[in-house]
Amino acid sequence: MTDSLFQIGAEGIDTARIVGEIQKSVEEKIRDGIYPDPEIARAERHNLKNLQTQDAFMDYYMNCLRQAAYVDINAFEIREQRNLFAPVLIALKKVIWKLLVFYTYRLWSQQNQVNGLLVAAVDGMDRKNVRKIQELEARVAALESAKDMNRS
Amino acid sequence: MSRADRIAFVCPRFDDRGTVGGAENLLKELALRAASNGRDVHFLTTCAVNHFTWENEKPAGVRDVGGMTVHEFEVDEDRDLERFLDIQDRISHGGEVSDEEEQAWLDNNVNSRGLIDHVRESAYDRIVAGPYLFGLTWRALLAHPDTACLVPCLHDEAFSRLRIMRRLFAQIPRFLFNAEPERQLADRLFDISAAHCAVVGVGLDSKEIDSDAFMRAHGLRTPYAIYVGRREPLKGTPMLTDYVDTFRRRTGRDLKLVFAGSGEIETPTSLRPHIIDLGFVSDREKSEAMAGAAAFIHPSVNESLSIVILEAWQAGTPCLVTAFSDVMRYQCEQSGGGLWFRSYPEFEEQLTLLLDHPEFRAMLGNQGKAFVEREYNWSVVEQRLLSALDKR
Repeated sequence: MTDSLFQIGAEGIDTARIVGEIQKSVEEKIRDGIYPDPEIARAERHNLKNLQTQDAFMDYYMNCLRQAAYVDINAFEIREQRNLFAPVLIALKKVIWKLLVFYTYRLWSQQNQVNGLLVAAVDGMDRKNVRKIQELEARVAALESAKDMNRS
Repeated sequence: MSRADRIAFVCPRFDDRGTVGGAENLLKELALRAASNGRDVHFLTTCAVNHFTWENEKPAGVRDVGGMTVHEFEVDEDRDLERFLDIQDRISHGGEVSDEEEQAWLDNNVNSRGLIDHVRESAYDRIVAGPYLFGLTWRALLAHPDTACLVPCLHDEAFSRLRIMRRLFAQIPRFLFNAEPERQLADRLFDISAAHCAVVGVGLDSKEIDSDAFMRAHGLRTPYAIYVGRREPLKGTPMLTDYVDTFRRRTGRDLKLVFAGSGEIETPTSLRPHIIDLGFVSDREKSEAMAGAAAFIHPSVNESLSIVILEAWQAGTPCLVTAFSDVMRYQCEQSGGGLWFRSYPEFEEQLTLLLDHPEFRAMLGNQGKAFVEREYNWSVVEQRLLSALDKR
């Protein structure tokens, strides 16, 4: 957002214009990947009204879900920010991680599978519904034009 | 135009301290205003306080409050709650219900035989009742339809499409709406003649508010956003906490979130240390908390007026509201006191704009304040109310 959207000190602010400008700017930012974060999908989980009404947002939300579904469960470098006893703390964390990974790796990989299947299912249903609606719209349009031709 | 002297206001709950819901406060304020105008006002309500349990917590009886007579009646305890909830659940999820089930939903809703008997046996010039969702409202209005005046507090929801509601709206000769979009919604749903409608709303008393008092009292040095009202999914508070949590994470800003009102706050664990839950607060503390906030955020879709955004504007605070509430978006457009968002990215941009530009924030707040002083001062609202009540 920039100051050009409104004039400080101007008499009266046109909020509708500002909201319109923000909406445009957000659309551009989404296209530019500034809001690709799977966190957005999480934040939007309760904004059902938006999902129901905005086709473009549904596509965006599905994209966020696809990114969020698979969680990286592989081993990672263990670090310690505190200097004091750092080697000891890192060793301790490594032991804890090894103990936990025995149980959690299987659990999280199954969770990843479930997430992936769910996203694929929702995505598939969405595409199927869109295709069905498009077919129905085409059929309605054809029937209407046939009706018009019969009339004339 | 004939003067309506003896007026009954009917509402399922009444609380002297004003800690019940918005619709209840609205009915109470309108009744008090009519009483202060010299009308013989009777406020008919139940002994219940909690809108989940509807238990009779207060003793039944009659008392004087602010120049009006408050009659408290017991809620009927023999309702089939299981059947009510089953049908209610199906309605709210858009399921089909038969005429018989709609009637059962109404019969097992919040009702009070004592209150309805009183209405039937009394002669009131006007019976003003609301909100529309309660069996009690339905029965009280149809006890004497010619005197009825409905304050629907209508939302675009599954319940407003029940056939039983169409029957109610068709028989009522007077409606008091809170805002123009609510009247338009009623017109779309029930085809009501404009001659039967009045947009009244509620007035706010002017007051001096110390905008630094809240931050001083709570030792706050970082900006905060505020929400005042019930905390529940229907009000959108889980979305609000998700949004603010995401905002903190993505922008790295230390923004606190202040809540006032009742109900559990459903929040991500990471946001919990940054929430200040005031619970029930005095009117003064509420105004001070609003006045110190960077923004008042209202995420609820189902609002017919939203007194709290008027109160926020009165405190000079701009509002961020969901774009899916026709009423709040309309109020923001009319007043120039707030912005409206459809999704998280828009919310983030708008909140950032408010936080980064204090002059802009102050200008929005001032525009909102001027709007409230112009449209929602009591003398204007009282005029609208009395003229609607006196209409034949």
